[in-house]
Amino acid sequence: MTNEAQAAPREYRWRMPANWWTRNRHYFLYVVREFTVVPIALWLLWLLVEIKRAGDGPARYSPHGSAAFVVFSVITLVFALYHSYTFLSLAGVIIHFKVLDRPLPSRLIVLAQFALWAVASVVVGFVLIWFAR
Amino acid sequence: MELGPRDIISRAMMTEFEEGHGFEGPHGKYLHLDVRHLGEDVIDRKLPFMRELGREFVGIDIVKDPIPVRPVQHYMMGGIDADISGATPMAGLYAAGECANVGLNGANRLGSNSLPECLVFGAAAGRAAAEYASSAKPVTANPVDAILWDEARRVEVAYLEKKGGDERIGAIREEMQHEMDTGAGVFRTKEGLETLVERLGGLRQRFSRIKIEDSSRTFNTELTSAIELDFMLELSQTIALTALARDESRGAHARRDFPERNDEKYLKHSLVFHRDAGKPRLEYRDVRVGNFKPQARTY
Amino acid sequence: MADKRITIQATRYDPDKDERPRLQSYEIPFSDDSMVVLDALNYIKSEVDGSLSYRWSCRMGICGSCGMMVNGTPKLTCNAFLRDYWPRPVVVEPLNNFPVIRDLVIDMDDFMHKLKAIKPWIIRRQEIPLGAGEHRQTNEQIDDFRQFSQCINCMLCYAACPVYGLNNEFLGPAAIALARRYNLDSRDQGLKQRLPVIADNEGVWECSFVGECSVVCPKGVDPAKAIQQTKLETTMRFVLPYGNRD
Repeated sequence: MTNEAQAAPREYRWRMPANWWTRNRHYFLYVVREFTVVPIALWLLWLLVEIKRAGDGPARYSPHGSAAFVVFSVITLVFALYHSYTFLSLAGVIIHFKVLDRPLPSRLIVLAQFALWAVASVVVGFVLIWFAR
Repeated sequence: MELGPRDIISRAMMTEFEEGHGFEGPHGKYLHLDVRHLGEDVIDRKLPFMRELGREFVGIDIVKDPIPVRPVQHYMMGGIDADISGATPMAGLYAAGECANVGLNGANRLGSNSLPECLVFGAAAGRAAAEYASSAKPVTANPVDAILWDEARRVEVAYLEKKGGDERIGAIREEMQHEMDTGAGVFRTKEGLETLVERLGGLRQRFSRIKIEDSSRTFNTELTSAIELDFMLELSQTIALTALARDESRGAHARRDFPERNDEKYLKHSLVFHRDAGKPRLEYRDVRVGNFKPQARTY
Repeated sequence: MADKRITIQATRYDPDKDERPRLQSYEIPFSDDSMVVLDALNYIKSEVDGSLSYRWSCRMGICGSCGMMVNGTPKLTCNAFLRDYWPRPVVVEPLNNFPVIRDLVIDMDDFMHKLKAIKPWIIRRQEIPLGAGEHRQTNEQIDDFRQFSQCINCMLCYAACPVYGLNNEFLGPAAIALARRYNLDSRDQGLKQRLPVIADNEGVWECSFVGECSVVCPKGVDPAKAIQQTKLETTMRFVLPYGNRD
């Protein structure tokens, strides 16, 4: 073979256009989902700051409670619930359990997880309210 | 009957059409294949791909609807003359798969026999070729290289540098398919095969005037279809000539004028040589009969 | 019906002449309701423009070679019916996320290397001789991996995956789904050999679960599920005591 025959033909390099995430509804929802973690991360950072301040002693601690922060917290809660929902639904699909050699239906796994989630929320809420009194 | 070999089924279907049965469809006459009695479970377990094909391509559910069917060309029973290790009469050239004739199929291919053809004889040919390559003496001037360059040059001159021409590859191919289906299809006759040989000659003439629009050296699929069509015409001619010379019916070769098998005269392989530009030469080689003697198929 | 027509816009790219791909428009007869995009391309090639290049073979959704972008969505063109698009024009482009060799033909080398890297065949610690018989399997054991074995390597999932589009090093949906197919096979003992590739940064952990691979798969394979399952399984092997057994 001569060099001429071996020379690779010039290929056109495909590049993702910058607006790729606007081209398809699923891509768009995916990007939205990814971006919802930003407010959640900010809120958690603020929580760390609050914990640090609470560590300085109860006398000097007064939690931040402006109306804007409450609104921000509610939005963040919605995002966090959305993530929890997608995570738990997905986990039900990917987890495999076999009972008596038969695969457990994924709906049952999803339901069990949501039940666990609800129980855990009640327990945490109870602990918070009980000790806050 | 439904589980019979494909040549018998094809003839039965054609007979139904000729007797005026069957349905008229956009692609010709067809019959209904009914598998509904198997039930959804068996179909999903054993025929999932058929169900998918019906659903995706025809818009029917074979659990509930009968399947429209008609005979088509499916497989090339003959091929490059090869022994059971894939070796051809040309030293160093090995063939396996549908292109090869290792003698597994005879005048008919049974369902799923392409699997041993690929896996068993493919492996055998691979091993034999590797063995040949490792034992062959190294040569200073590689003759294969020379053949390769000669062929590359031939393709350049015959197709890429070709000017003019007014025949479309697709049109000749389609006509060839039609002629082969008519003349060498499920049923054959002397007259039909003679007409076919003549028409194929005409198509060969037209092929010399084909138009090639694509002169690119990169992924030129028009060039590959031209080369393929050249080979297909040669193969069609081979099929027509050997079928015409075989005054009997055997396996998928069904002559209306000679419905019986004639082992005395034709228990033989047909070998066709296209050595020169002239008429191909037809020879026969005896079939080696082992444990299983040829018998009449009575079912 | 006889004079119904449809416009096909196909990507043209000749590396010797063109700087970048462009669309060329063809108006062809839409003569038959069962016509698919591949039929339209074959009509153009045989009747209008013999130089249009594309890959195809079986016409029945099993060979996986005719995958292209049809109006922006990765599709097997043998299974994309014109009646679903008519009277709008149909834009046919090469699969996204791959280098273009010519017209509608992409360079699939990258996928082929990845496919080979996950060793998509049954691996035994000790090969048994042919004469010792077959490895038997029950229907239930086949059900464990059946859907993942339907992959036809058509690469539609790679064209749909923005993660692969942004980072070509990503092992990608089909390769991981096939790795899962063999790892779930009761006859296979090759998990340890596949782990370095699939549990790598560029393996399952590159996936951020867009899920589009499973949406576009023409054979009902769920690569997104395979990837998330592999994430869980490899983590368990790492976390659990004795998790790293074969």
